[in-house]
Amino acid sequence: MAEEIRAEMVANVWKVVVSDGDTVEDGDTLVILESMKMEIPVVAEADGVVTVKVHEGDVVQEGDLIAIIE
Amino acid sequence: MTITSTPLDESTVDFRDPLVRLRTLFDKGTVKTLTGKDDSGVLTARGLIDGTPAIAYATDATKMGGAMGVEGCQHIVDAIDAAVRERVPVVGVWHSGGARLAEGVVALDGVGQVFAAMVRASGRVPQISVVLGPAAGGGAYGPALTDIVIMSGAGRIFVTGPEVVRSVTGEQVDMERLGGPEPHGRRSGVAHITTKDESSALEEARKVAKLLGAQGRISPADVADDRDLSASMPPEATRAYDVKPVVKALLDEPGVELHAKWSPNIVTTLGRFAGRTVGVIANNPLRLGGCLDASSAEKAARFVRMCDSLGVPLIVLVDVPGYLPGLGQEWEGVVRRGAKLLHAFAEAVVPRVTLVTRKAYGGAYIAMNSRSLGATAVFAWPSAEIAVMGASAAVNVLHRKKLAACPPEERETLRAKLVEQQLAEAGGVNRALEIGVVDDIIKPAETRKRIAGALSDAPAARGAHGNIPL
Repeated sequence: MAEEIRAEMVANVWKVVVSDGDTVEDGDTLVILESMKMEIPVVAEADGVVTVKVHEGDVVQEGDLIAIIE
Repeated sequence: MTITSTPLDESTVDFRDPLVRLRTLFDKGTVKTLTGKDDSGVLTARGLIDGTPAIAYATDATKMGGAMGVEGCQHIVDAIDAAVRERVPVVGVWHSGGARLAEGVVALDGVGQVFAAMVRASGRVPQISVVLGPAAGGGAYGPALTDIVIMSGAGRIFVTGPEVVRSVTGEQVDMERLGGPEPHGRRSGVAHITTKDESSALEEARKVAKLLGAQGRISPADVADDRDLSASMPPEATRAYDVKPVVKALLDEPGVELHAKWSPNIVTTLGRFAGRTVGVIANNPLRLGGCLDASSAEKAARFVRMCDSLGVPLIVLVDVPGYLPGLGQEWEGVVRRGAKLLHAFAEAVVPRVTLVTRKAYGGAYIAMNSRSLGATAVFAWPSAEIAVMGASAAVNVLHRKKLAACPPEERETLRAKLVEQQLAEAGGVNRALEIGVVDDIIKPAETRKRIAGALSDAPAARGAHGNIPL
C-alpha cells in the first residue's frame, strides 16, 4: 500500500534530502521543513521507494502531499 | 469462586483456545483457572507474570466467535472484583463478536455489568486489554474502558462492522481499515500499543503488567552513572530532533511507549527509572515542532491521570514552542482539550518532576507541569529558555511602533539590538530561577541523579480517582 506523507503544518521546504526512486526505511529523513523558526525533518514512517512531490523553496499547507512511499 | 488446577492438554492446538492464550500470558506452570469448564465462552485464571501475581480473563473465540452471554460476563465481573480485592493487575484477552444475540437483552445487561465492574476497578488496579481478534460492540467498549489497550496484527475493534457500515452509509470498507491496528494505533488513539502478532501482543501485556503491578522503590544510590542526556540532541537550538533517544537515555532500560504513532508530537512512555516504574511525558520537536495541540494535550492528560491513579511518579521533559496555531485547532477544541492537561497536572498528587531542556514558551510552558501547577521540582539545563514567547516574536509585538517608525534601512539593526535586549531581560533561564519557577539549573550529565533525588525526597502519594478514557 502506498504511504502518503503529508505536511502536518504550514511550512517552507528548506531542503530535499532524498531523490525520486531512493529506497528509504522507517525513520529516514526525506525533507527538512522550516516552520515556527525551526528546522523540522520529515521522516519516513514505512519502508519503500520514495517519490518526492515538493521542491526546495515551496510553501506547503497542512495536508499537502510531500512524498509517496511505495 | 473455586480454584481448580487444569492439567496441560497437549492435544490443544487451536491458538484461539483461551487456555492456550492465558498460558502464553502467564509464567510457565503458574496458571490456575478460576472457573471450571463450561459453555460460558469466558475463561478466567490467576497466575504469575514475571513473578508478579495477576488475574486474567479471556473470551473463548472457539465458542460462537467469543460472544458474551450472561454467565461469561459474570465470570469477567468476578475476575475484576477479585483483582481489586487482591490489588493485582487484571488482564483481559479479547476475541469476541459482542453480546450473544440468542440470549437477547439479558446478555446486554451482562455486558453492561462488565463495563460497570471495569469502572469500579478504574484507578484501583491496573487494567490491561489485549485484543487478538475481532472485538465488536461490547467487545470494543470493554477494552476501551481499561487503562491500556494492546492490539495484535489480527486485532479488530469497531462498534459496527463493515456490513452495517455499508448498508447505512454506503461506505465500502474492510475490517482492517475500519478497525485494525493501523487506524486505532495512528488515527483514533484507541490502541496504546500495536504489535505484529499474537505472541508479541501478549509479551507487551506482560511488560506493562509487570511495570504497573510491581512498581519497585526508587533508589537514587543506584544512579551512579553520569549519562549525558543531551548527547542525542543537535547543537543548533533551531534544529528539531527526535526526543525518543533522550527518553531512552533517561530510563534505566528501554520502556514501553504508549500511543507511539498517535499524536506523536508528545511522547508518553512507561519505564524504570532508578529501579522504580515512572511515567515519562516529553514534547517531541520532530513532530509539529513539538507544539502542543488538541489531541496531544488529551493524550498526555489521560496518561497523567492514569499514572496518578495508579501511583506512578512522573518525569516531564519540556521543549515546547507553544500551542499549534490555526482555525483547525480552535475548531477541534484545543481550548477544551488543552484544559484537560492543565486539570490533570494540577490535580496529580504523585511526585512529578519537570526538566526544561531547551525552551518553554507561553501557555504551553504552564501546561507542561510548571511550578504553578504544583510540580514537585522544576529543573532546567543551562541552555534552557523560559519565556512568554521567543525573543524575536516578542520584539515584534512589544516594539511594533518603534520598528515601524524606524527608517527601513536601519530596521534590521534596531531589531537585532532589541532582540538582544529582550533576551537579556526576559529570556534565558535566570529570570525564571530568580522568581522561583525553576528550582535549579542542572547539567545534562547530572540529570538522572538530580531527578532521582527529587522523586525520592517527595512523599509517595496516589490520586484518589478513576482513569476515565479522556
